[in-house]
Amino acid sequence: MRYDILICGIGGQGVISLGTILKLAAIRDGIGVVGAERRGGAQREGVVTTNVRYYSRNLETHDAPISGLIPAGGAHLLIAMEPLEALRHIRYLNENTTIIVNNRPLIPVHVRIGEYQYPPLNEIYSRLTHVTSFVYAIDIDAISLNNFHSLRHVNTIALGLAFAAGNIPVSKKALLETIADQFHNSPESISAFEFGCHYLKNIS
Amino acid sequence: MKELAQNHPGKIVLAMGNEAIVRGGLEAGIGYFSTYPGTPASEIGEVYVALKDHFPHLYAEFSINEHVAAHGALGASWAGVRAMTSMKHVGMNVAAEVLHFAAYTGINAGLVVVIGSDPGATSSTSEQDDRWYSLHTHLPILEPSTIQEAKEFTKLAFELSERYALPVIVNAPSKLCHNIGSLQLGPLPQNFTGLRGGKFVKNPSRYINLFGGSVANHAKALEQKAKLAADIPSLSLNKIFEGTSTIGFISSSVNFSYLKEALDLLGITDAHILKMGMSHPLNARQLMQFAERCTRIIVVEDLEGFLEFQIKSIMYESHIRIPIDGKNIFAPYGELDVDIIVRALGKTLAREIPHRIQNAYENEKKLARDIPPRQGSFCAGCPHRATAYAIVKATNRNAIFAGDIGCYTLACLPPFRAFDWVTCMNCGVGIGQGMRQVIGDEPMIAYVGDSTFFHSGIPGLINAVSQNANMVVVILDNKCVAMTGHQPSPTTERALDGTRFNPVDVKSLLKSIGIRYVRTVNPFNVSATIASIAEALREREGVRVIISEAECALQTERRKKLQPTSSEHYHQIEPSICQKCNECYIEFGCPAIRRFDEENEFSYYIEESLCTNCGACKDICPNSAISMVEIVRIRSAS
Ligand code: SF4
Ligand code: SF4
Repeated sequence: MRYDILICGIGGQGVISLGTILKLAAIRDGIGVVGAERRGGAQREGVVTTNVRYYSRNLETHDAPISGLIPAGGAHLLIAMEPLEALRHIRYLNENTTIIVNNRPLIPVHVRIGEYQYPPLNEIYSRLTHVTSFVYAIDIDAISLNNFHSLRHVNTIALGLAFAAGNIPVSKKALLETIADQFHNSPESISAFEFGCHYLKNIS
Repeated sequence: MKELAQNHPGKIVLAMGNEAIVRGGLEAGIGYFSTYPGTPASEIGEVYVALKDHFPHLYAEFSINEHVAAHGALGASWAGVRAMTSMKHVGMNVAAEVLHFAAYTGINAGLVVVIGSDPGATSSTSEQDDRWYSLHTHLPILEPSTIQEAKEFTKLAFELSERYALPVIVNAPSKLCHNIGSLQLGPLPQNFTGLRGGKFVKNPSRYINLFGGSVANHAKALEQKAKLAADIPSLSLNKIFEGTSTIGFISSSVNFSYLKEALDLLGITDAHILKMGMSHPLNARQLMQFAERCTRIIVVEDLEGFLEFQIKSIMYESHIRIPIDGKNIFAPYGELDVDIIVRALGKTLAREIPHRIQNAYENEKKLARDIPPRQGSFCAGCPHRATAYAIVKATNRNAIFAGDIGCYTLACLPPFRAFDWVTCMNCGVGIGQGMRQVIGDEPMIAYVGDSTFFHSGIPGLINAVSQNANMVVVILDNKCVAMTGHQPSPTTERALDGTRFNPVDVKSLLKSIGIRYVRTVNPFNVSATIASIAEALREREGVRVIISEAECALQTERRKKLQPTSSEHYHQIEPSICQKCNECYIEFGCPAIRRFDEENEFSYYIEESLCTNCGACKDICPNSAISMVEIVRIRSAS
């Protein structure tokens, strides 16, 4: 079994911590996990990515490590915290990739100063659906603001959405326990995750 | 992180590569640690300093620079305490002098030097391949390829260091330092030798590295290295993965796992592979044994072909003439990954690239064209943004901008673009003062951050003063080493947990080195800062220093979170007054200031959750459209 998740976004959006939850949950479940992260400096606004690669320990011979990097076209699931970043990582997608994308553009500096144009959102999504039809563009910021009065839970909601839409091999129990552990048993974090899990069912 | 301090052998935890290195040191009974923070190795220091309390015999410090850090670790080693120093790759340029001597004098207790390398320069001004230093420092290099190996190799490095009386380097690229994955813990030793348990035993024939003594030491270092090279096959660091193919692959570090994955994707199942856990020195016999049946060798490594160079020289000496590929297939710059290796090997070996990968590249070419780049930017409320803005306004971009290294390096990016160079630490004042001796009197502003100032800025500044160089030096003092994760700098007054430091009084220091013109400004008071810089520029005589002093916004925000107050403030744009002149949105560019587009209309607003209430935008708005407002938190109904 192999299942590869790519998470991308911008510094400060919790990309690395989202990857950490997915990896900790795998350890709870006894599933093998490797990964690779790209983080910028401490400053905000740069591109950040996390690779989470699951494999079943018993099938894997101990001398055959798979690398931490997802190869081109290899992601089973893409969690993009920003639409332009989903497009930037299109090389990792294939026709079966599930994409959860937070439908909230964050304008890069080069666009701000007028040197580049931010592509229209419908253009971004039509390019993504050119590769895969499993694209879920959801305004997760709005969900978090409306239900939890802050943007703090955006990545936990995204995790719930991804869990519902993809085939993440870790158990829901392991994810819930990890979230409880990571967020000091905050009931809001648990319900943010549950909210994400049920959201897609409610709209479809 | 606490798990790293626990003695639970066999337990599997989630750890970053850097944390695995820390654990390796702890399992080896490290007693002294020193570092100057630098990405990607910074977390090693953070974790050691944080774990100090759990290990009463462990001494750990953030040193002033890598040179001092390396000296400190050598001192501890000579006193019989296992020591480690860590740095980023370019830190080796600073520490190289110390480490060059360390091979000559030898060490006493194990001394391990961890280098966080940065192929691809994702967080550095250079991607130099540090491994080449070992051709003249003679330090052995271990290159772990997984998080688990990062721990095991670090632990082993201490043993090797003692067995061969040489400091040993553990080299880990950013893609290992920062990777997070599972790590199986080993046992912690029951007894540490550290702190007052150390004892210096005089050994003048080694430690007085002078005249004939240094020649004898040189011979000794070479002899030790040769001894180690001869023992390599018994050290189980290098591994041969037998395959039936006549092409031999040699790789090290994370690239070994990338190579394995690439071969898998290309359907090459019979590969004959030599994994180099130690990339210097090499063992000729082992290499010959591996190459015996090869008609061709392909070396897969990052950067400038350090392994390839050594392999070719051994092959030459052994009179073996087979094609050896490496840097003719893989670029000697940038960072390798699975995709690059798949494509390069596919081409060289005439193997078909899997369709999925081909399609993915075509998709990227077709669908991700012309998309805007996204570069880092000063955070909302960053004092450096206000300082950079003031420098642009005070000079009208009409000056030579002597750049330097720190968060403020972002002033080279839009919207400011007020940086004319950036190379190594202290390049601002250092290069600027020399240039001043040969150019006319155009204005010159040199940047330097608090940490860079203490790292290596002071000698350059003293030189500028003694040579009476005409320049304005802006010290951007944000009270910590912000870029690498807010480690304390000599001007840090208080840690987040309240620990008080003894901050250096920069002003008195400047006075004592003979600088008469020193002004201190609060950068968030932007108009006063502009005026102050303009005034200093008008002076035209000698070194004038402006200290732009305000704590890093991220630190201040963390303090606020630790001690929340009932009312909070933020800034707000009054749409009816705003003239959309763009001053705050484009010229200043605080990320909290955003644009809201409606049909044929737009307005600017400030995102409350990002605004740190620094007040800079209020000061720069020419139309007084921005004001501070109070938010009273309404508790949610539960
Ligand atoms: S500087 Fe003032 S007037 Fe100009 S866009 Fe900003 S708020 Fe509006
Ligand atoms: S006060 Fe203005 S400049 Fe400062 S953080 Fe808030 S929006 Fe940005």
